[in-house]
Amino acid sequence: MDKEKNLLSKKIAGIRGWIQAGATLLTNIHIPNLFKATIYQGNAKTVCVPGLNCYSCPAATGACPIGAFQAVVGSSSFKFSYYITGFFILLGVTLGRFICGFLCPFGWFQDLLHKIPGKKISTARLKPLRYLKYIILIIFVILLPMFVTNSIGMGDPFFCKYICPQGVLEGAIPLSLGNAAIRSALGTLFSFKCVILIAVVVLSVIFYRPFCKWICPLGAIYSLFNKVSFLSIKVENSKCIGCGQCSTACKMDVDVCKTPDHPECIRCGACIKACPKDAIHYEFMGNHSS
Amino acid sequence: MKTKRTFISIFTLCVALLLTACNGNKTSDTETSQNTQTESSTDSSDDSNTKLDDLYQQENQLFADHKDVWDKAFGMMNKSAADPNGNYADYLADTVESNKDSFTDDELKILTDDIETIRKIEEQIAELEKKNAASDSQKNTSDDASPFKNFSGKDYDGNSVDESLFSKNAVTVVNFWFTGCKPCVAELSKLNELNDAIKAMGGEVIGINTETFDENKSAIKEAASILESQGVKYRNLSIDSTSDAGKYASGIMAFPTTILVDRNGNIVGDPMLGGIDNQDNYDTLMKQIQSVIDADNTNK
Repeated sequence: MDKEKNLLSKKIAGIRGWIQAGATLLTNIHIPNLFKATIYQGNAKTVCVPGLNCYSCPAATGACPIGAFQAVVGSSSFKFSYYITGFFILLGVTLGRFICGFLCPFGWFQDLLHKIPGKKISTARLKPLRYLKYIILIIFVILLPMFVTNSIGMGDPFFCKYICPQGVLEGAIPLSLGNAAIRSALGTLFSFKCVILIAVVVLSVIFYRPFCKWICPLGAIYSLFNKVSFLSIKVENSKCIGCGQCSTACKMDVDVCKTPDHPECIRCGACIKACPKDAIHYEFMGNHSS
Repeated sequence: MKTKRTFISIFTLCVALLLTACNGNKTSDTETSQNTQTESSTDSSDDSNTKLDDLYQQENQLFADHKDVWDKAFGMMNKSAADPNGNYADYLADTVESNKDSFTDDELKILTDDIETIRKIEEQIAELEKKNAASDSQKNTSDDASPFKNFSGKDYDGNSVDESLFSKNAVTVVNFWFTGCKPCVAELSKLNELNDAIKAMGGEVIGINTETFDENKSAIKEAASILESQGVKYRNLSIDSTSDAGKYASGIMAFPTTILVDRNGNIVGDPMLGGIDNQDNYDTLMKQIQSVIDADNTNK
């Protein structure tokens, strides 16, 4: 029984790249729009996608939850975004940061970049930077859009406007390539955000998922639910021989044996694949005491 | 297992690169076609430009051939008497006529002969320039059917308007916005100032809020309250989302977008993206407005 379960976990972890590709495709299903530089504006756009995926990507199926949250908080008609907060709680409680590891297009983008051969540096010494994403979440996603407003109570989506590299990659670049008027309107803000995008791209080659670890406010939200989410990672103490292979394999710098449900764990399954005794597996609403 | 993983990663990379490659090709395609389009149009105008140059050259040659007499005539010219729209030859003839006594008979003969030649050249020039202007305005409306040719809409008080809205003014500034768009709201008061400024020059600002399509009552109410809070006095219209103008507005991917429409309902120049609360944008738009008004005056 256990053996089967562990085998399934290994299989899931093994096809993670495919799941990421599929999720990215489903999140950006309107591919012909990329060439027309027109944004799909149908009814599906009122629903959020789980990962960080810009609303303004011409191909995007739905809305970015972080963008939608800021838009609602920053609008003059609403004080707080209950629908999207509920969406965060729902996805956080069911999947947690499994979304980062399997469903987020920008996570996949960084994964692919990290496959480019070159010098790889561990981020183990840079752990304090992890807290930066919570600061960005509170200041740029919640407080600034809520309180820095004009005379009729409208705020800017500060994270989207000043930080988000996914917006440049999926929104600004394809739109400006296909639309001369948008191209002519590009200014310093675009250059500034291009610098951020280039920095993230370069850092992603050297480090594993720097944006997810240090910047992403969506990851920060899901991380809060990692300890309680239905989907979790379980280490069987009876099988574990304490070899530490799992922690060595973990690119998110988690001590798997000690804290398998650490906020930083993106459920990528590297530890499951690395375990010589098959002692680690995914669990969904399983009995945690086993 | 190991080889399978490498295969998967290589394959995904290939797919990713393929997608980007397709994307790149496509955009370069459209770009080249754009280039060719502008090239061909500059070709034809180049052609007429060389003709024009040639004609001017002929005139100058006449002046040079009889330099002494012409210099004498030019010295007597009175700038204020010049009519920029009249034939240059008439102006020259007038000058010579009013200073007849200063010239000898020989000189007069040379001058009148030259003036006749110049008159013919000027007529040719005028014709060429007219043709150029026509092709210019055609270029601006290359999408033959302008979405504002058959226009209909309603203001927020329910009064209907049609394309006569445009024909009353030399230039109509059409601003597309929506209620939740902060940069759009930020420029509203500036647009109102612009409306006041261009009223006397024969221009008008019109606002089209994309949320108020199809006379959406609650959206109109919301938009109206924002317009009031920003002190906006110029007209805002609700249009049909299925009309040509509605489709044009739905195709706009960045807000605020401002376009200029001439008396005939043609869109002039490229749409401007971004608010005119930015001084650079304001100046650019003002310059475009001025040029549309100038073109309108010459066409009358």
